[in-house]
Amino acid sequence: MTTENPQLRLKNVDKYYGPINGGVYAVQSISMDVPKGEIIALLGSSGCGKTSTLRMVAGFEAVSAGSIELAGKPVHMLAPVKRNVAMAFEGYSLYPTVSVRDNIAFALKASRLADADVARRVGHVAEMLEITDILDRFPNFISGGQQQRASLARALVRDADLHLLDEPMGQLEPQLRTLLRGRIKHYIKERGLTAILVTHDQTEANALADRIAVMEGGILQQYASSTEIKLRPANLFTGTFVGEPPMNVFPATASASVGEVTFDLSGGLYLRYPEAAFDSAVRQMVLTRQHVVIGVRPYAVHRSAQGAAAQVVANQWLGDQSHIAASFAGKTIVLVEHDRAALSEGQSIHIQINLEDLHVFDPATGAALAHGHALAA
Amino acid sequence: MSIELSNIRKAFKANTVLADVSLSIAKGETLVLFGPSGAGKTVLLRLIAGVIEPDAGQIRVNGRDMAGVEPEDRGIGMAFQNFALFPHMDAFANIAAPLTARRQSKSVMKETVEKVARLLKIDHVLHHKPKELSNGQKQRTALARALSAAPSILLLDDPLRNVDAKLRFEMRLELPRLLKDQNATVIYVTQDYKEAMALGHRIAVMTAHGIQQVGTPEEIYLTPANTDIARLFGDPVINLLDVRPEWQGGQVVAMVSDRPVRLLDQYTSQIGRDCILGLRPESLHFVAEGSPGAIPVEIETETPLNEKTVTLALTLRGREIMISRPAGTPGPASGQAHIALNAASAVLFDRATGQRIAPVRHSMNEAVA
Repeated sequence: MTTENPQLRLKNVDKYYGPINGGVYAVQSISMDVPKGEIIALLGSSGCGKTSTLRMVAGFEAVSAGSIELAGKPVHMLAPVKRNVAMAFEGYSLYPTVSVRDNIAFALKASRLADADVARRVGHVAEMLEITDILDRFPNFISGGQQQRASLARALVRDADLHLLDEPMGQLEPQLRTLLRGRIKHYIKERGLTAILVTHDQTEANALADRIAVMEGGILQQYASSTEIKLRPANLFTGTFVGEPPMNVFPATASASVGEVTFDLSGGLYLRYPEAAFDSAVRQMVLTRQHVVIGVRPYAVHRSAQGAAAQVVANQWLGDQSHIAASFAGKTIVLVEHDRAALSEGQSIHIQINLEDLHVFDPATGAALAHGHALAA
Repeated sequence: MSIELSNIRKAFKANTVLADVSLSIAKGETLVLFGPSGAGKTVLLRLIAGVIEPDAGQIRVNGRDMAGVEPEDRGIGMAFQNFALFPHMDAFANIAAPLTARRQSKSVMKETVEKVARLLKIDHVLHHKPKELSNGQKQRTALARALSAAPSILLLDDPLRNVDAKLRFEMRLELPRLLKDQNATVIYVTQDYKEAMALGHRIAVMTAHGIQQVGTPEEIYLTPANTDIARLFGDPVINLLDVRPEWQGGQVVAMVSDRPVRLLDQYTSQIGRDCILGLRPESLHFVAEGSPGAIPVEIETETPLNEKTVTLALTLRGREIMISRPAGTPGPASGQAHIALNAASAVLFDRATGQRIAPVRHSMNEAVA
């Protein structure tokens, strides 16, 4: 994606470790634009390259190739302090010899902001992150979760061209997380900050980010809004990685007869759709390939008397959602319902998957071929 | 086999971990011990296993007092957090260890190990030594070993803790079946409320002050004994608003955003008292202005959360309130909006003690919600 005047632009950035022949790419050929005022999440599991990417943007790591521009100027050759980037990093610790309040105020004081303004801004961010009562304590005398919030406050209070937040809420108690996510998002948006968040937690990425950069194996797999990733995953990796519970996937063989397109799953089960419901290009594509992988998200699996047979193996109520697992086509299919489902183990149900909720992937490359009626872009 | 704990006390030097714990678990039941770290959950498991002895109180298994009974004679299988795998043996040999001790035939052993390994998705690493396994795989190997012994009592200490989110979800769906097939009485320790609700026939909520509530997932979620428990279950967390119920137009109401919100008539006794109103985010919904019971709010922000949309809003008095709805359903994303609640789903707590106030029926014809 390219943007007119992005706040941050990564162009063909590589991070390569080791000798020229026989080293490894931690990050390979990443290009992405971050528009001003957006929150971006770099999402992936450990070793995917997200932290290396962040460290190159911060200036803690040199780029092996490519360029990084911030606010229109190349910065990848600059030292971290010259980049005007505010950071909350794990290991980028608080100054142990000054109070939490002075830690948070540090950069504002250095910028010669009036004392009253410093106090007001520190007070505001501390209240938002619920650390008002520990402002006069020292970093070594507060809990890990409080340190993390203090570090986050120190970054968010600043005016900077870019805010980099590395796993900012990993240590927080779960009861506080959802609330703080809401407040932090509101704060960043209200002040028009541009932020990059690194996380392995998709819940956090989905909650905070305007756009998510999904990484795996050092490669940017998809860079899009969370809605776009859910509706149109670029490949099987993003399809099954983003979304909780994960997407259901089944190998299938496509065929056509008497006005219908049929996906033959194993175990004598079929999904049938009227031929006319398909975009002709999609129909053509699945029929010429025959072997595909189909995917459907748990909340898009519906119970319906006309559907294909399945048998309930588990029904778990979590207070606000029911997670139902059923044996289906030799595998397990998962359904999510928002009400409490009255289903017991062993019960027969019928499952319907609407064509618009169906994702079709190439079994060899994993690339998405079609989403619902339309061909994948 | 049933387990009966009566008045268990355990201290380590001056640190009393369990003051007076009593709990009974029925044969074939899965009881989840849920609570934050430091509550004494693991200590309780170790006491039942016989690894440590209580200072006072009694542990009975099927009616038999376990005092002085060696761990290996209690018929109890365990999978603890710190794996405790034999480092020189591969995963297969670790899982087969209890069967080897029982001198089972090689073919039976192979079949048992492979079956349980397949269920726990470690069949591809059976010939790896513990040091070649990831933490999640080690944990599942320890769990497989506990299962392969088919004990009549199984103690599982946070067995999915190090497992990644996707696999954890799959295991959560499959474990109940596995445990049911074992026909074992299970005590399962976790800090994940979803796991607790999904796996437990009953849940015992434990904090540093002992066992706070024991009940079915439904009881714990819908009628939490106090505000602490209410906050531990549910994501986003329950809204807790300070209110003082009053009598208005023949109804019990609480003021939220300067509007009267109707509560159950059974809360008449709380009129004029300092209370906390507990509102689950999913029990609130957006309504049109002017509809009955509509409460005005100002929307701050909207965040997606696991197939839900969570709205953070402010009341007219600036109190934060979270509303959640299924993703993809319409709702306002910014500006002024109105919300309403269902009186039956509101929970009332005493502000001084944090304890839930049970609605009191004052007519025989009226059902208690």
